[in-house]
Amino acid sequence: MNRRQMLKSLALCGGVAATGLPKLVKAKSKTVSAVNYKALFEKALKDNPKLIGYSGVEHDLMSENLVIEGRLPMDLRGHFYRNGPARLERGEIRYQHLFEGDGMVHDFTIAKGKIHHRGKFIQTNKYKAEQAAEEFLFSGPDTRLQNSLAITKADDINVANTSILPVGGDLWALWEAGSATRLDRSSLNYRGQVKLGEQTAAGSSLAGMPFSAHPKVMPEGDIWNFGYNSTGHIIIYHLNSQGRLLNFKVVNTQFTGGMLHDFLVTQNHVLLILPSIKQNGGNQGYFAQLGFAPEQPLEVLVLDKTHMAVQRRYELDPAFVFHFGNAWEDNQGNIRMDASLYPHLDVLHKLSDLMAGELPKEETNAQPTLITLYKNGKVDTQAFKIVSEFPRVLPQTTGHKNQHLYFLSSGQNAVWHDTICQLNVDNGKLNQFQFGDDFIVEEHVPFSPSGKENKAYLIGTALHVPTKRSCLNVFDANALQNGPVCRAWLPYYLPLGFHGHFQQA
Amino acid sequence: MKHLLLMTLFAIATGKSYAQNHSLEFSINSVNSAKGKLYVQLFKGEDNFKKGAPHAAQIMPASKGNTLLVFSNLTPGEYAVRFFHDENNDGKMSTNLFGIPSEGYGFSNNAQPVMAPPSYQDSKFTITADTKVTQNSSDVIY
Repeated sequence: MNRRQMLKSLALCGGVAATGLPKLVKAKSKTVSAVNYKALFEKALKDNPKLIGYSGVEHDLMSENLVIEGRLPMDLRGHFYRNGPARLERGEIRYQHLFEGDGMVHDFTIAKGKIHHRGKFIQTNKYKAEQAAEEFLFSGPDTRLQNSLAITKADDINVANTSILPVGGDLWALWEAGSATRLDRSSLNYRGQVKLGEQTAAGSSLAGMPFSAHPKVMPEGDIWNFGYNSTGHIIIYHLNSQGRLLNFKVVNTQFTGGMLHDFLVTQNHVLLILPSIKQNGGNQGYFAQLGFAPEQPLEVLVLDKTHMAVQRRYELDPAFVFHFGNAWEDNQGNIRMDASLYPHLDVLHKLSDLMAGELPKEETNAQPTLITLYKNGKVDTQAFKIVSEFPRVLPQTTGHKNQHLYFLSSGQNAVWHDTICQLNVDNGKLNQFQFGDDFIVEEHVPFSPSGKENKAYLIGTALHVPTKRSCLNVFDANALQNGPVCRAWLPYYLPLGFHGHFQQA
Repeated sequence: MKHLLLMTLFAIATGKSYAQNHSLEFSINSVNSAKGKLYVQLFKGEDNFKKGAPHAAQIMPASKGNTLLVFSNLTPGEYAVRFFHDENNDGKMSTNLFGIPSEGYGFSNNAQPVMAPPSYQDSKFTITADTKVTQNSSDVIY
């Protein structure tokens, strides 16, 4: 036996430590927490009907031929996909963080002047086992069951609940701590985890590696993404449009903040933006133990796409960030980017408080911020005094200059969002549409059948609280203030989710 | 008395103690294929487990299902086992680029890793002076 090799190899079992998986403790069907999230949420829901969006659902959903208000544009044909956590409770247990819920993929099919909806729970191995057992079997990052089944790798609890991307003939449901989950595009059935290294020289070295929920698709179709390990190692992926691996590299950034949600690409560069957060450790849940690090600058690493090596580093004022819209290079070689920047990390913990029906006590909102990373190392930032989250740009502009940035907004301390915005990044002009106090608005996605910014639509969902129904809204992206050109009503509400994608027919 | 004397003399001559006449039957269960080999290490005591200094080791061809191994000539005490299924037959446990095993592995007592390999406390078992054959088992974690 090659003892030295064997010892070294077995020692690598310690790598499990770096996945951010929870430690488990014992006794079934109960959580370790003394707080009864389910009871607290039910009580709060009676007083605040807006919380219904965080109730979750228990079954797949389907509705044909939605009732349409307004006029469905003739050139609007295709599928609007969305993803989000939808199974939040089983029995007496309610998850303690919104990020823990099992994913449900939504498909709004738009064809021949009609809109149909399907919502289907993603049949991961975890979901199927728990569905059969009629109870949660696995602890989550924050919710610790007293007798969880063993979790030996991140994909054991991959809930595939964050975003959705059509790749080749499939859909990939994405969750940042594990591998992508492959779905059949027509049936939405689960087809297994995506094995990126298969049939390439990478082999099993990529098995179970994290593949973030925010891949960037260049206009020519190439897919770029990253995966974060809390040791500070980040893998960069480059795939072709069919999802086949072209190149990858692991970079040791030494960023041990514990969470990295999004990134950016330009035509020639990959940008890793490392927020000012740290892991406090202890016996709290994984998300619960993450804290803001006000002494730690927000750092931007600029890597070249060819060698995937760090070329430049920039330090910005301390901030936390979930999402970015776009980045591009100007003629002088400076990099322009935007970010929805938070002054602290409270927003992450708000998503736990909401699970107990608690509304934020203090301001937890981000602001849209335009950032210039000059070639000479200087940095310039321009923040706009408005709430901003879920920033998106027209897909055809990814990595290239965009004129418009789209995002959700709201008044301070809203349960979610109530406004959609279009910001002209050239002149700062803002167009917006406020849905009104009865609505909770989810991410809206820009797209253009012609690929032009001056003829684009914005599509997204919103929950109408008084009637407990969700609706699909289509706007002329350049005339948001006029309200939706088309609104299609579901006969039910959808759990508030995260990210979507419009796929033109 | 004569018998005891003979035994003592034999023990001195061979450098062994009769206390070594114990064995461990260890079953590795749920091997998923006959590809490659099983690499198995037996550790005696916590220090050796932590240092990665095995008391004994075996390599055997993998076979689908359950495989029984026997470690003989053991003295009473605390032990722990760890193993991996080297499916691609490259002599090491393959991992992904973040160090997470991509081949099957396991520990005695069917101890499970949670954020880290199982501890010695989770994996240890005792071979007692009054038990000639001790049994233990574990499923392979893939």
